Amino acid sequence: MGKKRLISGVVATAEAVRLADVDVITSFPIRPYTGIMSELARMVADGELDAEFIHADGEHAQLSIVYGASAAGARTFTGSSGVGVTYAMEVYSPISGTRLPVHMAIADRTLDPPGDFGSEHTEAESCRDQCWIQGWAATPQEALDLTLLYYRIGEDPRVLLPQYACQDGYFVSHIAGEVEIPDEGQVKEFLPPYKNKHSLNISDPMIIGAQIEPEMGPPLQYQRYIAIQEARKVIAEAYKEFGEIFGRKYSPFVEEYMTDDAEVVIFIQGAHSVTARNVALKLRNHGEKVGVVQLRTLRPFPTEIVRDVLSRFKAVGAVDNSVNYGIAGDGGVLLSEARTALYGLGDKTKTVGFVGGLGGEVITMEEFYKMYAKLKEIAKTGKVERDSYWLPYEL
Amino acid sequence: MLETVKTLRDMPKEEYYVPGHRTCAGCGPALVYRLVAKAAGPNTIFVGPTGCMYVANTSYGCGPWAVPWIHAQITNGGGVASGIEAAYKAMMRKGKYTGERPHAIVMAGDGGSTDIGLQALSGMIYRGHDVLYICYDNESYANTGIQTSPTTPWGAVTTFTPSGPAVPEGKRLWPKDNAQMIAHGHPELKYLATASPAFPVDLFNKVRKGLNAEGPAYLHIQAPCPKGWQFPSNKTIEMAKLALDTGMFQLYELEDGKYKMSYMPKERKPVEEFIKLQGRFKHLKPEHIEKIQNFVDQKVKAIEIEIAALS
Ligand SMILES: Cc1ncc(C[n+]2csc(CCOP(=O)(O)OP(=O)(O)O)c2C)c(N)n1
Ligand code: SF4
Ligand SMILES: [Mg+2]
Repeated sequence: MGKKRLISGVVATAEAVRLADVDVITSFPIRPYTGIMSELARMVADGELDAEFIHADGEHAQLSIVYGASAAGARTFTGSSGVGVTYAMEVYSPISGTRLPVHMAIADRTLDPPGDFGSEHTEAESCRDQCWIQGWAATPQEALDLTLLYYRIGEDPRVLLPQYACQDGYFVSHIAGEVEIPDEGQVKEFLPPYKNKHSLNISDPMIIGAQIEPEMGPPLQYQRYIAIQEARKVIAEAYKEFGEIFGRKYSPFVEEYMTDDAEVVIFIQGAHSVTARNVALKLRNHGEKVGVVQLRTLRPFPTEIVRDVLSRFKAVGAVDNSVNYGIAGDGGVLLSEARTALYGLGDKTKTVGFVGGLGGEVITMEEFYKMYAKLKEIAKTGKVERDSYWLPYEL
Repeated sequence: MLETVKTLRDMPKEEYYVPGHRTCAGCGPALVYRLVAKAAGPNTIFVGPTGCMYVANTSYGCGPWAVPWIHAQITNGGGVASGIEAAYKAMMRKGKYTGERPHAIVMAGDGGSTDIGLQALSGMIYRGHDVLYICYDNESYANTGIQTSPTTPWGAVTTFTPSGPAVPEGKRLWPKDNAQMIAHGHPELKYLATASPAFPVDLFNKVRKGLNAEGPAYLHIQAPCPKGWQFPSNKTIEMAKLALDTGMFQLYELEDGKYKMSYMPKERKPVEEFIKLQGRFKHLKPEHIEKIQNFVDQKVKAIEIEIAALS
């Protein structure tokens, strides 16, 4: 059994990186994820963690350095926020295409403009199709756990894919919560050392990333395509074993809250799901049949599970903490994905999108009450007047 | 320690850059690569940013190296090599790797070294990674069909700097001097040199010195490109030699804070002798050539002053 501490998401993440015995870390400053790196720098300076800590010349360099380090056989850690995440965009596909299980923490931040420190999922979601495992932690404890889980999942020889372990800026990254820090023995049992069978090694020379003819590309892309699909199985296994070793049992793909006889639910990921739960609980006390479905894994998207779960309800409100200008339905990624998952089942489950919490504003309880009221109305009338509502202007 | 050699005959027979690529006939960068790989030997990992030495070497999913090689983006050769070096450092310290520490060499084009990948190169040297970074300078973005790069000479025609009635001279900018930029602002730099396939023994030894240096090293190697410069494919070495004899390119090294000239022509030839043999300059008028001559005269003088001061 580990010990309990009151710490923020960034410190919890750093604790997980220390426990994972990472070899190469690359940093570049941008708030709010910076806290992870200052904590790791302290650990290295204090001799608590033996790692190369590299102050990179930008996020593109951060990702380039861990690409090389991971290919050479090291376990790596990097991270960023906001425009830092998008600045490194070029390197995400080479990393997943080379099947390197690089780990990246993202503490969300609004993209410029406006120059805003607030949290939005936009930057991380804009990388969602680069074949990285991706999901959100909603509390500091989840941030620690997600880090360990993702190293384990990404390094599994059946997966070999990089991972974005995301946490909402400030709401998770900088608000302290009670975190149980596992002991090293538990982590050793859960996370075996990283072994790269195809590393850059002079005793077994290998050419990695050769140029190919057009017809030779799709087979490689197809392998990546299958790998992230197959990862679903490994994700489920890893979460199960995680629960057995650490005693914290998560549902790997979607977490349901008060949904047993619910008629309407909020479909959401990340920190704002905590507020959604509070409001659902309050409404339950007034006899309303409402619940919350929290998405834990955005990539690979758990299509079948989401379909099975969401199709049980009369109305689903997908809450997106991101701006996806011009997207189908004018909501966000979650609305779009929920609708895709439900496609073909007829019109039994109505869906509507809510865009909220932009610029790092809280999505207030008041707003969740309004969303539930709208969902109730939709469930009752069977009519969806518009695809999406931007909070607070449109609802 | 890798020993330096006196003559071509002292070089090892083994090749680590072997036949089986599809670079143009007479490709300067490919000749350079062969010498670099020979000098470096088997304990080497190459990093290959996008450019001719990636595309033309690894077509069809294979490559001509007998040592490990990894692709980097055109933007990030310095970063990827930093990661490889750091990984081996950490893994050896932590007992996760017990073999000999491999050398890491970046073989990047001039575009990838002086323009879009300059930050990655500078970052790598600033941070003190023990990597040998080599820029093979064919004086253009060659692989994309010969576009102007920061090292393309003034007056050269490329597909982005054509000559026409409104712009008779073609390229209107003077080239960037990467070796000088790297030499002057990077206190961690342990060794720097320029080299040319016209002097293979010198080139070979500079590679070895760069690898022996404990810390970052930079080589800027001029590598004539028959396609981009537009000369017959059997004239590559002649072009390389003429560049040195006219002062268009100069050979020197910077070691322990001291400069040394590696080759000084007894009498410098006029730049016209270099220019007139290449199609990329064929539109130039005498007044254009005079401009280039002035530029070269000044550059040569500046280097000589610097070398005198620091040698
Ligand atoms: C980010 C990015 N931009 C552009 C390209 C297109 N590109 C491929 S090869 C190349 C030329 C590289 O020039 P240089 O580094 O001088 O190498 P050379 O081809 O001359 O050997 C370019 C621009 C690319 N691969 N990546
Ligand atoms: S274009 Fe130039 S550098 Fe590229 S392969 Fe041909 S000769 Fe070599
Ligand atoms: Mg070039």
